[in-house]
Amino acid sequence: MPLVRTERLTKAFGALTAVNEVTLEIEEGSLHAVIGPNGAGKTTFFNLLTGQHAPTSGRIIFDGRDIAGTPPHRIAHLGIARSFQRTSIFPVLSILDNVWLAAFARQESWRGLAWRRADRYPELTRRALDVLGEVGLGEKAGLPAREISHGEQRQLELAIALAAAPRLLLLDEPAAGLSPDETQRMVTLVRRLKGRYTVVLIEHKIDVVMSMSDRISVMHFGSLIAEGTPDEIRRNAEVRRAYLGGIAAP
Amino acid sequence: MKAWLAILAAVVLLPVFVRHAIATEIWIFAIFGLGLNLLMGYTGLLSFGQATFFGSAAYVAGYLLKYYGINLFLALGIGVLVGAVSAAVVGYLCVQRSGLYFIMLTFALNQMFFFTAYQWTTVTGGEDGMPGIPRPTVLGLDIHGPLAYYATVAGLFLVSLWVMKRIVESPLGKILQAIRENEPRAEALGYDVSRMKLVAFVVGGAFSGLAGVLYAMLFGIVPLEAIGFVFSGNVVFATLIGGSGSLYGPVIGSFVFIWLSESVSAMWARWPLLLGVAFVIVVLFFRGGVVEAWARFWAWRAARRAPAGARVDAPR
Repeated sequence: MPLVRTERLTKAFGALTAVNEVTLEIEEGSLHAVIGPNGAGKTTFFNLLTGQHAPTSGRIIFDGRDIAGTPPHRIAHLGIARSFQRTSIFPVLSILDNVWLAAFARQESWRGLAWRRADRYPELTRRALDVLGEVGLGEKAGLPAREISHGEQRQLELAIALAAAPRLLLLDEPAAGLSPDETQRMVTLVRRLKGRYTVVLIEHKIDVVMSMSDRISVMHFGSLIAEGTPDEIRRNAEVRRAYLGGIAAP
Repeated sequence: MKAWLAILAAVVLLPVFVRHAIATEIWIFAIFGLGLNLLMGYTGLLSFGQATFFGSAAYVAGYLLKYYGINLFLALGIGVLVGAVSAAVVGYLCVQRSGLYFIMLTFALNQMFFFTAYQWTTVTGGEDGMPGIPRPTVLGLDIHGPLAYYATVAGLFLVSLWVMKRIVESPLGKILQAIRENEPRAEALGYDVSRMKLVAFVVGGAFSGLAGVLYAMLFGIVPLEAIGFVFSGNVVFATLIGGSGSLYGPVIGSFVFIWLSESVSAMWARWPLLLGVAFVIVVLFFRGGVVEAWARFWAWRAARRAPAGARVDAPR
Protein backbone atom coordinates (compact mmCIF):
# COMPACT_ATOMS: atom_id res chain seq x y z
CA MET A 1 0.00 0.00 0.00
CA PRO A 2 1.37 3.43 -0.86
CA LEU A 3 2.05 5.87 2.00
CA VAL A 4 0.45 8.71 0.09
CA ARG A 5 -2.01 8.71 -2.75
CA THR A 6 -3.47 11.78 -4.37
CA GLU A 7 -6.65 11.37 -6.39
CA ARG A 8 -7.43 13.90 -9.11
CA LEU A 9 -5.91 16.58 -6.91
CA THR A 10 -6.66 20.04 -8.25
CA LYS A 11 -5.87 23.58 -7.17
CA ALA A 12 -7.10 26.58 -9.09
CA PHE A 13 -6.19 30.18 -8.37
CA GLY A 14 -8.93 32.02 -10.23
CA ALA A 15 -8.49 31.21 -13.90
CA LEU A 16 -5.12 29.55 -13.37
CA THR A 17 -5.17 25.85 -12.62
CA ALA A 18 -1.84 25.37 -10.86
CA VAL A 19 -2.36 21.70 -10.15
CA ASN A 20 -4.65 19.84 -12.50
CA GLU A 21 -6.12 16.44 -11.56
CA VAL A 22 -2.88 14.96 -10.32
CA THR A 23 -3.17 11.31 -9.36
CA LEU A 24 0.02 10.00 -7.83
CA GLU A 25 1.21 7.28 -5.48
CA ILE A 26 4.26 7.44 -3.24
CA GLU A 27 5.54 4.08 -2.02
CA GLU A 28 6.74 3.85 1.56
CA GLY A 29 10.52 3.99 1.78
CA SER A 30 11.02 5.24 -1.77
CA LEU A 31 12.68 8.37 -3.08
CA HIS A 32 10.23 9.89 -5.48
CA ALA A 33 11.23 12.90 -7.52
CA VAL A 34 8.82 15.44 -8.99
CA ILE A 35 10.35 17.38 -11.85
CA GLY A 36 9.09 19.90 -14.33
CA PRO A 37 9.83 23.34 -15.70
CA ASN A 38 9.28 26.51 -13.69
CA GLY A 39 5.61 27.13 -12.99
CA ALA A 40 4.67 23.50 -13.56
CA GLY A 41 2.88 23.42 -10.18
CA LYS A 42 5.42 21.41 -8.21
CA THR A 43 5.57 23.70 -5.18
CA THR A 44 1.80 24.18 -5.21
CA PHE A 45 1.51 20.40 -5.16
CA PHE A 46 3.67 20.38 -2.01
CA ASN A 47 1.62 23.17 -0.48
CA LEU A 48 -1.46 21.00 -0.94
CA LEU A 49 0.20 18.02 0.73
CA THR A 50 1.27 20.10 3.73
CA GLY A 51 -1.96 22.04 4.09
CA GLN A 52 -0.66 25.48 3.14
CA HIS A 53 -3.35 25.48 0.49
CA ALA A 54 -6.68 23.70 0.58
CA PRO A 55 -7.32 21.83 -2.67
CA THR A 56 -10.08 22.98 -5.00
CA SER A 57 -11.02 19.35 -5.52
CA GLY A 58 -9.60 15.89 -5.18
CA ARG A 59 -8.32 13.83 -2.30
CA ILE A 60 -5.03 13.27 -0.49
CA ILE A 61 -4.90 9.91 1.24
CA PHE A 62 -2.07 9.70 3.75
CA ASP A 63 -1.73 6.44 5.59
CA GLY A 64 -5.34 5.53 4.85
CA ARG A 65 -7.04 8.80 5.71
CA ASP A 66 -8.06 11.81 3.69
CA ILE A 67 -6.07 14.82 4.84
CA ALA A 68 -7.11 17.31 2.15
CA GLY A 69 -7.82 20.72 3.70
CA THR A 70 -6.34 19.89 7.11
CA PRO A 71 -4.43 22.91 8.53
CA PRO A 72 -0.60 22.77 8.34
CA HIS A 73 0.05 22.38 12.07
CA ARG A 74 -2.17 19.27 12.21
CA ILE A 75 -0.55 17.78 9.15
CA ALA A 76 2.85 18.27 10.77
CA HIS A 77 1.66 16.16 13.68
CA LEU A 78 0.71 13.34 11.33
CA GLY A 79 4.37 13.12 10.41
CA ILE A 80 4.69 15.11 7.20
CA ALA A 81 7.64 17.51 7.26
CA ARG A 82 8.93 19.74 4.53
CA SER A 83 11.76 21.98 3.54
CA PHE A 84 11.13 25.17 1.61
CA GLN A 85 12.46 26.24 -1.75
CA ARG A 86 13.15 29.71 -0.38
CA THR A 87 15.03 29.24 2.86
CA SER A 88 12.58 29.50 5.74
CA ILE A 89 14.32 29.53 9.09
CA PHE A 90 14.20 31.51 12.34
CA PRO A 91 17.03 33.99 11.71
CA VAL A 92 17.55 35.38 15.22
CA LEU A 93 17.33 32.06 17.04
CA SER A 94 20.35 29.81 17.38
CA ILE A 95 20.85 27.00 14.90
CA LEU A 96 20.26 24.53 17.70
CA ASP A 97 16.96 26.21 18.64
CA ASN A 98 15.84 26.15 15.01
CA VAL A 99 16.16 22.38 14.98
CA TRP A 100 15.11 21.89 18.59
CA LEU A 101 11.77 23.58 17.89
CA ALA A 102 11.10 21.10 15.11
CA ALA A 103 11.86 18.20 17.43
CA PHE A 104 9.75 19.62 20.27
CA ALA A 105 6.71 20.11 18.05
CA ARG A 106 6.55 16.36 17.37
CA GLN A 107 6.59 15.36 21.05
CA GLU A 108 3.64 13.24 22.10
CA SER A 109 3.04 15.45 25.10
CA TRP A 110 4.05 19.04 25.60
CA ARG A 111 4.75 18.62 29.31
CA GLY A 112 6.47 21.60 30.88
CA LEU A 113 5.50 23.75 27.90
CA ALA A 114 5.48 27.06 29.76
CA TRP A 115 7.58 26.20 32.76
CA ARG A 116 10.42 23.75 32.21
CA ARG A 117 13.57 25.38 30.86
CA ALA A 118 14.01 24.54 27.20
CA ASP A 119 17.55 23.31 27.82
CA ARG A 120 16.24 20.71 30.27
CA TYR A 121 15.03 18.34 27.58
CA PRO A 122 18.19 16.31 27.17
CA GLU A 123 16.76 13.75 24.75
CA LEU A 124 15.43 16.48 22.42
CA THR A 125 18.66 18.44 22.54
CA ARG A 126 20.59 15.29 21.73
CA ARG A 127 18.33 14.53 18.79
CA ALA A 128 18.69 18.08 17.52
CA LEU A 129 22.48 17.89 17.80
CA ASP A 130 22.48 14.50 16.05
CA VAL A 131 20.56 15.92 13.12
CA LEU A 132 22.85 18.95 12.96
CA GLY A 133 25.82 16.62 12.95
CA GLU A 134 24.28 14.65 10.12
CA VAL A 135 23.94 17.71 7.88
CA GLY A 136 27.35 18.98 8.93
CA LEU A 137 26.38 21.88 11.16
CA GLY A 138 27.28 20.32 14.51
CA GLU A 139 30.10 22.77 15.11
CA LYS A 140 27.90 25.80 14.57
CA ALA A 141 24.95 24.85 16.78
CA GLY A 142 25.31 27.93 18.99
CA LEU A 143 25.39 30.54 16.23
CA PRO A 144 22.35 32.60 15.28
CA ALA A 145 20.91 31.17 12.09
CA ARG A 146 21.24 34.46 10.20
CA GLU A 147 25.02 34.41 10.59
CA ILE A 148 25.78 31.38 8.45
CA SER A 149 26.19 31.24 4.69
CA HIS A 150 23.39 30.57 2.25
CA GLY A 151 24.69 27.07 1.63
CA GLU A 152 24.71 26.32 5.34
CA GLN A 153 21.22 27.75 5.69
CA ARG A 154 20.09 25.24 3.07
CA GLN A 155 21.62 22.50 5.21
CA LEU A 156 19.80 23.92 8.24
CA GLU A 157 16.58 23.93 6.23
CA LEU A 158 17.04 20.21 5.67
CA ALA A 159 17.94 19.64 9.33
CA ILE A 160 14.73 21.33 10.50
CA ALA A 161 12.71 18.96 8.34
CA LEU A 162 14.66 15.90 9.54
CA ALA A 163 14.40 16.81 13.22
CA ALA A 164 10.65 16.27 13.05
CA ALA A 165 11.39 12.55 12.50
CA PRO A 166 8.92 12.56 9.60
CA ARG A 167 7.16 9.61 8.04
CA LEU A 168 7.02 11.59 4.83
CA LEU A 169 9.73 14.07 3.97
CA LEU A 170 9.03 16.67 1.31
CA LEU A 171 12.10 18.44 -0.01
CA ASP A 172 11.47 21.46 -2.20
CA GLU A 173 14.58 22.07 -4.30
CA PRO A 174 17.09 21.55 -1.50
CA ALA A 175 19.90 22.61 -3.83
CA ALA A 176 18.23 25.90 -4.88
CA GLY A 177 20.81 28.63 -5.31
CA LEU A 178 23.77 26.46 -4.36
CA SER A 179 27.18 26.46 -6.02
CA PRO A 180 28.29 23.25 -7.81
CA ASP A 181 30.35 22.23 -4.77
CA GLU A 182 27.53 22.86 -2.35
CA THR A 183 25.11 21.09 -4.66
CA GLN A 184 27.34 18.04 -4.60
CA ARG A 185 27.35 18.07 -0.81
CA MET A 186 23.55 18.43 -0.72
CA VAL A 187 23.15 15.54 -3.16
CA THR A 188 25.28 13.38 -0.90
CA LEU A 189 23.14 14.36 2.08
CA VAL A 190 19.88 13.56 0.32
CA ARG A 191 21.27 10.30 -1.05
CA ARG A 192 22.06 9.24 2.52
CA LEU A 193 18.39 9.72 3.47
CA LYS A 194 17.37 7.14 0.89
CA GLY A 195 15.82 4.08 2.48
CA ARG A 196 15.53 5.69 5.91
CA TYR A 197 12.75 8.08 4.98
CA THR A 198 10.00 8.24 2.43
CA VAL A 199 11.16 11.22 0.42
CA VAL A 200 9.44 13.31 -2.20
CA LEU A 201 11.97 15.53 -3.90
CA ILE A 202 11.25 18.51 -6.10
CA GLU A 203 14.29 19.26 -8.14
CA HIS A 204 15.21 21.43 -11.04
CA LYS A 205 18.60 19.96 -11.78
CA ILE A 206 17.62 16.95 -13.79
CA ASP A 207 20.93 15.09 -13.53
CA VAL A 208 20.55 15.13 -9.74
CA VAL A 209 17.26 13.24 -9.73
CA MET A 210 18.13 10.84 -12.54
CA SER A 211 20.91 9.28 -10.51
CA MET A 212 19.19 8.85 -7.17
CA SER A 213 15.43 8.53 -7.59
CA ASP A 214 13.41 5.35 -7.47
CA ARG A 215 10.59 6.93 -9.41
CA ILE A 216 10.12 10.21 -11.19
CA SER A 217 6.93 12.12 -11.91
CA VAL A 218 6.99 14.87 -14.49
CA MET A 219 4.67 17.85 -14.21
CA HIS A 220 3.94 20.30 -16.97
CA PHE A 221 1.43 23.18 -16.76
CA GLY A 222 -0.10 21.67 -13.63
CA SER A 223 -0.66 18.21 -15.07
CA LEU A 224 1.23 14.99 -14.66
CA ILE A 225 2.56 14.07 -18.08
CA ALA A 226 4.69 11.07 -17.22
CA GLU A 227 5.69 8.78 -14.41
CA GLY A 228 8.18 6.01 -14.16
CA THR A 229 11.69 4.92 -13.32
CA PRO A 230 14.56 7.23 -14.30
CA ASP A 231 15.23 5.10 -17.39
CA GLU A 232 11.64 5.21 -18.55
CA ILE A 233 11.57 8.97 -18.07
CA ARG A 234 14.77 9.37 -20.04
CA ARG A 235 13.24 7.52 -22.96
CA ASN A 236 9.84 9.20 -22.82
CA ALA A 237 9.37 11.32 -25.92
CA GLU A 238 6.74 13.61 -24.45
CA VAL A 239 8.98 14.43 -21.50
CA ARG A 240 11.84 15.27 -23.80
CA ARG A 241 9.65 17.60 -25.79
CA ALA A 242 8.14 19.34 -22.78
CA TYR A 243 11.03 19.54 -20.46
CA LEU A 244 14.37 18.06 -21.28
CA GLY A 245 14.61 19.77 -24.62
CA GLY A 246 17.68 17.74 -25.38
CA ILE A 247 19.76 19.36 -22.67
CA ALA A 248 20.02 16.33 -20.47
CA ALA A 249 19.75 13.77 -23.24
CA PRO A 250 22.54 11.27 -22.95
CA MET B 1 22.86 36.56 38.02
CA LYS B 2 24.43 40.02 37.72
CA ALA B 3 21.14 41.38 36.44
CA TRP B 4 19.30 39.98 39.45
CA LEU B 5 21.82 41.50 41.85
CA ALA B 6 21.39 44.86 40.15
CA ILE B 7 17.61 44.59 40.39
CA LEU B 8 17.76 43.56 44.06
CA ALA B 9 20.00 46.54 44.75
CA ALA B 10 17.54 48.79 42.91
CA VAL B 11 14.64 47.39 44.92
CA VAL B 12 16.44 48.16 48.18
CA LEU B 13 17.87 51.54 47.22
CA LEU B 14 15.04 53.05 45.21
CA PRO B 15 12.87 54.13 48.17
CA VAL B 16 15.91 55.86 49.67
CA PHE B 17 16.25 58.16 46.69
CA VAL B 18 12.75 58.66 45.32
CA ARG B 19 9.36 59.17 46.91
CA HIS B 20 7.78 55.91 47.98
CA ALA B 21 4.75 56.34 45.78
CA ILE B 22 6.95 56.84 42.72
CA ALA B 23 9.20 53.94 43.63
CA THR B 24 6.13 51.74 44.03
CA GLU B 25 4.70 52.91 40.72
CA ILE B 26 7.93 52.02 38.96
CA TRP B 27 7.64 48.35 39.91
CA ILE B 28 3.91 48.28 39.15
CA PHE B 29 4.55 49.69 35.72
CA ALA B 30 7.38 47.20 35.28
CA ILE B 31 4.96 44.30 35.90
CA PHE B 32 2.63 45.86 33.33
CA GLY B 33 5.54 46.11 30.89
CA LEU B 34 6.58 42.49 31.44
CA GLY B 35 3.15 41.39 30.25
CA LEU B 36 3.26 43.57 27.16
CA ASN B 37 6.79 42.49 26.36
CA LEU B 38 5.74 38.86 26.05
CA LEU B 39 3.35 39.98 23.32
CA MET B 40 5.34 42.76 21.67
CA GLY B 41 8.92 41.73 22.24
CA TYR B 42 8.73 37.95 22.11
CA THR B 43 5.72 37.20 19.92
CA GLY B 44 5.95 40.29 17.72
CA LEU B 45 2.38 41.37 18.41
CA LEU B 46 2.09 45.10 18.96
CA SER B 47 -0.87 45.32 21.31
CA PHE B 48 -2.07 48.85 21.61
CA GLY B 49 -4.75 47.93 24.12
CA GLN B 50 -3.02 46.65 27.23
CA ALA B 51 -4.89 49.16 29.41
CA THR B 52 -8.03 47.12 28.72
CA PHE B 53 -6.73 44.35 30.97
CA PHE B 54 -5.03 46.70 33.43
CA GLY B 55 -8.14 48.84 33.86
CA SER B 56 -10.67 46.00 33.93
CA ALA B 57 -8.75 44.28 36.71
CA ALA B 58 -8.38 47.54 38.62
CA TYR B 59 -12.11 48.24 38.41
CA VAL B 60 -13.32 44.75 39.33
CA ALA B 61 -10.86 44.16 42.16
CA GLY B 62 -11.21 47.77 43.30
CA TYR B 63 -14.98 47.43 43.46
CA LEU B 64 -14.78 44.26 45.52
CA LEU B 65 -12.16 45.77 47.80
CA LYS B 66 -14.26 48.83 48.33
CA TYR B 67 -17.70 47.33 48.85
CA TYR B 68 -16.99 43.79 50.02
CA GLY B 69 -13.71 44.24 51.85
CA ILE B 70 -12.09 41.19 50.27
CA ASN B 71 -8.61 40.25 51.46
CA LEU B 72 -5.39 41.01 49.63
CA PHE B 73 -4.81 37.55 48.17
CA LEU B 74 -8.32 37.39 46.83
CA ALA B 75 -7.93 40.89 45.37
CA LEU B 76 -4.67 39.96 43.64
CA GLY B 77 -6.10 36.65 42.45
CA ILE B 78 -9.18 38.35 41.04
CA GLY B 79 -6.99 40.97 39.36
CA VAL B 80 -4.91 38.30 37.65
CA LEU B 81 -8.05 36.39 36.67
CA VAL B 82 -9.88 39.42 35.26
CA GLY B 83 -6.73 40.42 33.37
CA ALA B 84 -6.38 36.94 31.90
CA VAL B 85 -10.08 36.52 31.01
CA SER B 86 -10.43 39.94 29.41
CA ALA B 87 -7.23 39.25 27.47
CA ALA B 88 -8.63 35.90 26.35
CA VAL B 89 -11.73 37.60 24.95
CA VAL B 90 -9.85 40.48 23.30
CA GLY B 91 -7.04 38.20 22.16
CA TYR B 92 -9.41 35.70 20.59
CA LEU B 93 -10.80 38.44 18.36
CA CYS B 94 -7.44 40.07 17.62
CA VAL B 95 -5.38 37.00 16.63
CA GLN B 96 -7.74 36.42 13.71
CA ARG B 97 -5.94 39.28 11.96
CA SER B 98 -2.34 40.35 11.64
CA GLY B 99 -0.27 43.46 11.04
CA LEU B 100 -2.03 46.80 10.98
CA TYR B 101 -5.48 45.26 11.38
CA PHE B 102 -4.33 43.46 14.49
CA ILE B 103 -3.04 46.69 16.04
CA MET B 104 -6.22 48.58 15.18
CA LEU B 105 -8.35 45.81 16.69
CA THR B 106 -6.51 45.97 20.01
CA PHE B 107 -6.95 49.73 19.95
CA ALA B 108 -10.62 49.67 19.00
CA LEU B 109 -11.48 47.10 21.66
CA ASN B 110 -9.60 49.20 24.20
CA GLN B 111 -11.80 52.14 23.22
CA MET B 112 -14.91 50.03 23.73
CA PHE B 113 -13.83 49.12 27.24
CA PHE B 114 -12.92 52.74 27.88
CA PHE B 115 -16.31 54.09 26.88
CA THR B 116 -18.08 51.40 28.86
CA ALA B 117 -16.20 52.54 31.94
CA TYR B 118 -16.84 56.16 31.03
CA GLN B 119 -20.60 55.66 30.71
CA TRP B 120 -21.17 53.21 33.53
CA THR B 121 -20.86 55.90 36.17
CA THR B 122 -22.83 54.07 38.88
CA VAL B 123 -20.07 51.51 39.12
CA THR B 124 -16.90 53.10 37.80
CA GLY B 125 -17.59 56.73 38.73
CA GLY B 126 -17.04 57.69 35.09
CA GLU B 127 -14.74 60.65 34.69
CA ASP B 128 -14.31 61.04 38.44
CA GLY B 129 -12.84 57.58 38.79
CA MET B 130 -13.54 55.07 41.52
CA PRO B 131 -12.16 56.45 44.78
CA GLY B 132 -11.94 54.97 48.26
CA ILE B 133 -10.08 51.75 47.52
CA PRO B 134 -8.51 50.38 50.70
CA ARG B 135 -5.30 48.45 51.19
CA PRO B 136 -6.43 45.42 53.17
CA THR B 137 -4.45 43.98 56.05
CA VAL B 138 -2.64 40.80 55.12
CA LEU B 139 -1.88 38.00 57.62
CA GLY B 140 -1.98 40.52 60.43
CA LEU B 141 0.52 42.75 58.65
CA ASP B 142 -0.41 46.33 58.02
CA ILE B 143 0.50 47.44 54.50
CA HIS B 144 -1.05 50.89 54.82
CA GLY B 145 2.28 52.62 55.31
CA PRO B 146 4.01 53.71 52.10
CA LEU B 147 7.13 51.67 52.82
CA ALA B 148 5.19 48.55 53.78
CA TYR B 149 3.18 48.81 50.57
CA TYR B 150 6.36 49.42 48.61
CA ALA B 151 7.84 46.23 50.03
CA THR B 152 4.69 44.28 49.08
CA VAL B 153 4.76 45.55 45.52
CA ALA B 154 8.50 45.08 45.16
CA GLY B 155 8.15 41.50 46.37
CA LEU B 156 5.37 40.81 43.89
CA PHE B 157 7.45 42.39 41.15
CA LEU B 158 10.35 40.06 41.89
CA VAL B 159 8.01 37.07 41.78
CA SER B 160 6.53 38.32 38.48
CA LEU B 161 9.98 38.80 36.99
CA TRP B 162 10.99 35.30 38.01
CA VAL B 163 7.80 33.80 36.56
CA MET B 164 8.34 35.69 33.30
CA LYS B 165 11.94 34.51 33.17
CA ARG B 166 10.75 30.92 33.46
CA ILE B 167 8.19 31.46 30.72
CA VAL B 168 10.56 33.02 28.20
CA GLU B 169 13.16 30.33 28.82
CA SER B 170 10.60 27.54 28.44
CA PRO B 171 9.63 25.88 25.17
CA LEU B 172 6.70 28.30 25.00
CA GLY B 173 9.11 31.25 25.03
CA LYS B 174 11.00 29.74 22.10
CA ILE B 175 7.82 28.95 20.21
CA LEU B 176 6.60 32.54 20.58
CA GLN B 177 9.91 33.85 19.28
CA ALA B 178 9.71 31.41 16.40
CA ILE B 179 6.27 32.82 15.55
CA ARG B 180 7.71 36.34 15.65
CA GLU B 181 10.57 35.32 13.36
CA ASN B 182 8.72 33.22 10.82
CA GLU B 183 5.06 32.49 11.27
CA PRO B 184 4.50 30.12 8.31
CA ARG B 185 7.52 28.04 9.32
CA ALA B 186 6.31 27.77 12.92
CA GLU B 187 2.95 26.60 11.58
CA ALA B 188 4.62 24.07 9.28
CA LEU B 189 6.55 22.65 12.24
CA GLY B 190 3.26 21.83 13.93
CA TYR B 191 2.54 24.81 16.13
CA ASP B 192 -0.99 26.17 16.20
CA VAL B 193 0.03 29.78 15.74
CA SER B 194 -3.33 31.35 16.65
CA ARG B 195 -3.57 29.36 19.84
CA MET B 196 -0.01 30.20 20.84
CA LYS B 197 -0.67 33.89 20.26
CA LEU B 198 -3.77 33.59 22.41
CA VAL B 199 -1.70 32.01 25.18
CA ALA B 200 0.70 34.96 24.99
CA PHE B 201 -2.29 37.28 25.27
CA VAL B 202 -3.69 35.53 28.32
CA VAL B 203 -0.35 35.45 30.13
CA GLY B 204 0.31 39.09 29.25
CA GLY B 205 -3.21 39.96 30.42
CA ALA B 206 -2.64 38.23 33.75
CA PHE B 207 0.45 40.36 34.37
CA SER B 208 -1.45 43.50 33.36
CA GLY B 209 -4.26 42.54 35.73
CA LEU B 210 -1.89 42.14 38.65
CA ALA B 211 -0.38 45.55 37.89
CA GLY B 212 -3.86 47.06 37.68
CA VAL B 213 -4.92 45.94 41.15
CA LEU B 214 -1.65 47.10 42.69
CA TYR B 215 -2.11 50.45 40.97
CA ALA B 216 -5.62 50.86 42.36
CA MET B 217 -4.41 50.11 45.88
CA LEU B 218 -1.41 52.40 45.51
CA PHE B 219 -3.44 55.53 44.80
CA GLY B 220 -6.65 54.42 46.48
CA ILE B 221 -8.53 55.20 43.29
CA VAL B 222 -9.06 53.81 39.82
CA PRO B 223 -8.85 56.85 37.56
CA LEU B 224 -10.62 56.63 34.20
CA GLU B 225 -7.22 56.98 32.51
CA ALA B 226 -6.26 53.55 33.86
CA ILE B 227 -8.33 51.98 31.07
CA GLY B 228 -7.61 54.63 28.42
CA PHE B 229 -5.53 54.32 25.26
CA VAL B 230 -2.93 56.82 26.53
CA PHE B 231 -2.11 54.32 29.22
CA SER B 232 -1.84 51.59 26.59
CA GLY B 233 0.51 53.81 24.63
CA ASN B 234 2.63 54.63 27.67
CA VAL B 235 3.45 51.02 28.37
CA VAL B 236 4.41 50.50 24.71
CA PHE B 237 6.63 53.59 24.92
CA ALA B 238 8.26 52.51 28.16
CA THR B 239 8.92 48.99 26.89
CA LEU B 240 10.42 50.21 23.63
CA ILE B 241 12.68 52.67 25.43
CA GLY B 242 13.88 49.98 27.80
CA GLY B 243 14.29 47.37 25.11
CA SER B 244 11.54 45.10 23.83
CA GLY B 245 12.36 41.46 23.35
CA SER B 246 14.77 41.29 26.26
CA LEU B 247 13.57 40.17 29.66
CA TYR B 248 14.83 43.20 31.58
CA GLY B 249 13.96 45.80 28.94
CA PRO B 250 10.52 46.71 30.28
CA VAL B 251 11.92 46.98 33.81
CA ILE B 252 14.47 49.57 32.72
CA GLY B 253 11.89 51.24 30.53
CA SER B 254 9.47 51.55 33.41
CA PHE B 255 12.16 53.13 35.53
CA VAL B 256 13.05 55.68 32.86
CA PHE B 257 9.44 56.42 32.01
CA ILE B 258 8.02 56.81 35.52
CA TRP B 259 11.06 58.61 36.82
CA LEU B 260 10.96 61.07 33.94
CA SER B 261 7.24 61.61 34.17
CA GLU B 262 7.16 62.04 37.95
CA SER B 263 10.41 63.84 38.67
CA VAL B 264 10.92 65.99 35.63
CA SER B 265 7.27 66.89 35.30
CA ALA B 266 7.46 68.65 38.67
CA MET B 267 10.14 70.95 37.30
CA TRP B 268 9.06 71.30 33.73
CA ALA B 269 5.52 70.98 32.48
CA ARG B 270 6.66 70.15 28.94
CA TRP B 271 8.33 66.92 29.99
CA PRO B 272 6.64 64.78 27.34
CA LEU B 273 8.95 66.58 24.92
CA LEU B 274 11.89 64.84 26.59
CA LEU B 275 10.10 61.57 26.27
CA GLY B 276 9.54 62.24 22.60
CA VAL B 277 13.22 62.94 22.07
CA ALA B 278 14.18 59.77 23.91
CA PHE B 279 11.74 57.83 21.79
CA VAL B 280 13.08 59.23 18.52
CA ILE B 281 16.64 58.40 19.54
CA VAL B 282 15.65 54.86 20.41
CA VAL B 283 13.77 54.28 17.18
CA LEU B 284 16.52 55.75 15.00
CA PHE B 285 19.63 54.43 16.68
CA PHE B 286 18.87 51.81 19.31
CA ARG B 287 16.05 49.61 18.20
CA GLY B 288 16.76 47.38 21.18
CA GLY B 289 16.35 50.29 23.59
CA VAL B 290 18.49 50.96 26.64
CA VAL B 291 19.42 47.28 26.84
CA GLU B 292 20.97 47.37 23.38
CA ALA B 293 22.66 50.73 23.99
CA TRP B 294 24.20 49.28 27.11
CA ALA B 295 25.47 46.16 25.35
CA ARG B 296 26.94 48.23 22.54
CA PHE B 297 28.65 50.55 24.97
CA TRP B 298 30.43 47.63 26.61
CA ALA B 299 31.34 46.06 23.30
CA TRP B 300 32.78 49.41 22.23
CA ARG B 301 34.82 49.73 25.44
CA ALA B 302 36.13 46.22 25.11
CA ALA B 303 37.13 46.96 21.52
CA ARG B 304 38.98 50.12 22.58
CA ARG B 305 40.86 48.33 25.29
CA ALA B 306 41.93 45.46 23.08
CA PRO B 307 45.48 45.83 21.72
CA ALA B 308 45.50 47.70 18.43
CA GLY B 309 46.39 44.60 16.40
CA ALA B 310 43.59 42.51 17.81
CA ARG B 311 41.02 45.26 17.63
CA VAL B 312 37.64 44.19 16.40
CA ASP B 313 34.98 46.53 15.15
CA ALA B 314 32.19 47.34 17.54
CA PRO B 315 28.86 45.93 16.35
CA ARG B 316 27.15 48.28 13.93
